[in-house]
Amino acid sequence: MVNGRVLHFYLAGINNQNFLMRDRETGTWWQQITGRAIYGPLKGAALDLVPSDELTFGEWKSEVTDGKVLAPVAKYAKKYESNWEHEVAKLPVVISFPGTELKSRDIVVGLEMGDVSRAYPWDSLAKQSPVLDRVNGTPLLLVVGPDGKSFRVFVSRIDGKDAEFFLKGETESSSSAGVPPAVVRASRPHMGSDESKPQSPAAPAPAWALLDNATASEWNFQGCAISGAARGKCLDRVPALKDYWFDWRNYHPGTTVSKH
Amino acid sequence: MRTRRSLSWTIFYAAALAGCLLFFFPAFIIRPFRYQSPNALTMAMAVRHVAPWGTIAALAVCLVLAFALWESDNRRRKIVLTVVLVLAAFSAVMSRMNYFEWMFHPIDRAQFESEAASKLESGEMIIAIRFGNDARAYPIREMAYHHVLNDVVAGVPVAVTY
Repeated sequence: MVNGRVLHFYLAGINNQNFLMRDRETGTWWQQITGRAIYGPLKGAALDLVPSDELTFGEWKSEVTDGKVLAPVAKYAKKYESNWEHEVAKLPVVISFPGTELKSRDIVVGLEMGDVSRAYPWDSLAKQSPVLDRVNGTPLLLVVGPDGKSFRVFVSRIDGKDAEFFLKGETESSSSAGVPPAVVRASRPHMGSDESKPQSPAAPAPAWALLDNATASEWNFQGCAISGAARGKCLDRVPALKDYWFDWRNYHPGTTVSKH
Repeated sequence: MRTRRSLSWTIFYAAALAGCLLFFFPAFIIRPFRYQSPNALTMAMAVRHVAPWGTIAALAVCLVLAFALWESDNRRRKIVLTVVLVLAAFSAVMSRMNYFEWMFHPIDRAQFESEAASKLESGEMIIAIRFGNDARAYPIREMAYHHVLNDVVAGVPVAVTY
């Protein structure tokens, strides 16, 4: 939606492996990754980014009630690639950044804080989660979920005060490998609205949790405290994108790479 | 008479060439697995923008001139005129087609199923969005094929892309 006008988009091409779309209403061309109009009547306009998560279906199911899932279109179901990640990774790249820290097809979690952008290599993030960082003055908490695949980024501040988080039951010397998946039902911060869902009485005690050093509370993967002094509070979310290094670097030339 | 005829031929070929370029130039630039410079991309988008009407205009010019140049007893000339006309017509049709959607069909009307009814495995990745109580999951396996989906979530129009 731009200036109150609803637009409908369709796939219109590919630009250095990031796709282009056009809207049926004005024919303007838009770049997928930025949501910006790059050519046509609306050139210069930008779509608002809707907060979203990249989660496993299992993790999502454990968080929502009455969720709706996009159904497969029967006609095209055969074309859905079950191994899409593997298949896409084999495609050639047309832009590369030799001399940078990563390889083109390395997967990163990228985020922007104001005009500062930063990339976190996925492999080490998954191994070392939770990762604490500070970007453009904001303390950040990057967490890979109990399933090892879902991820979220939060501002690591509780009531305006910086806090550090670590995985419950994890000491400095042990690793997080083999953490059993947790079933967690709790309130969830989202979309800037403060609505929250009551905690389900049937929810089993979560096996996976984060602890903070400021209030010693337990936090779930949705960034909400489920026990302790901070119980009921939720951390602010930070939008982040899982992307290939070449694509992230192409649209964020000034990005730094985390050495976590 | 002779110069007028050769002028007709020149315009005929020029119009056909322009029509073909209007389609083939952006099609060539905006193709996968090849580097596109920002300038080339901008030019391709500009051409693609005018191509739907430009190719029709070129085809109309070609048709009128082909009619004037047609000689029913000149077989070679008929072949040349027909081939060029077909090329111009092809460009006009293709400029109005979205062949990217032939490869990756869009979802015209999104259908949703309840989380309980979904056959998705729990390890499958999804894109999740939520407005109020309206929580939606878009399986990445599905979005990686369709690429773009227009949806309305709790009254908010959204474009889901992957």
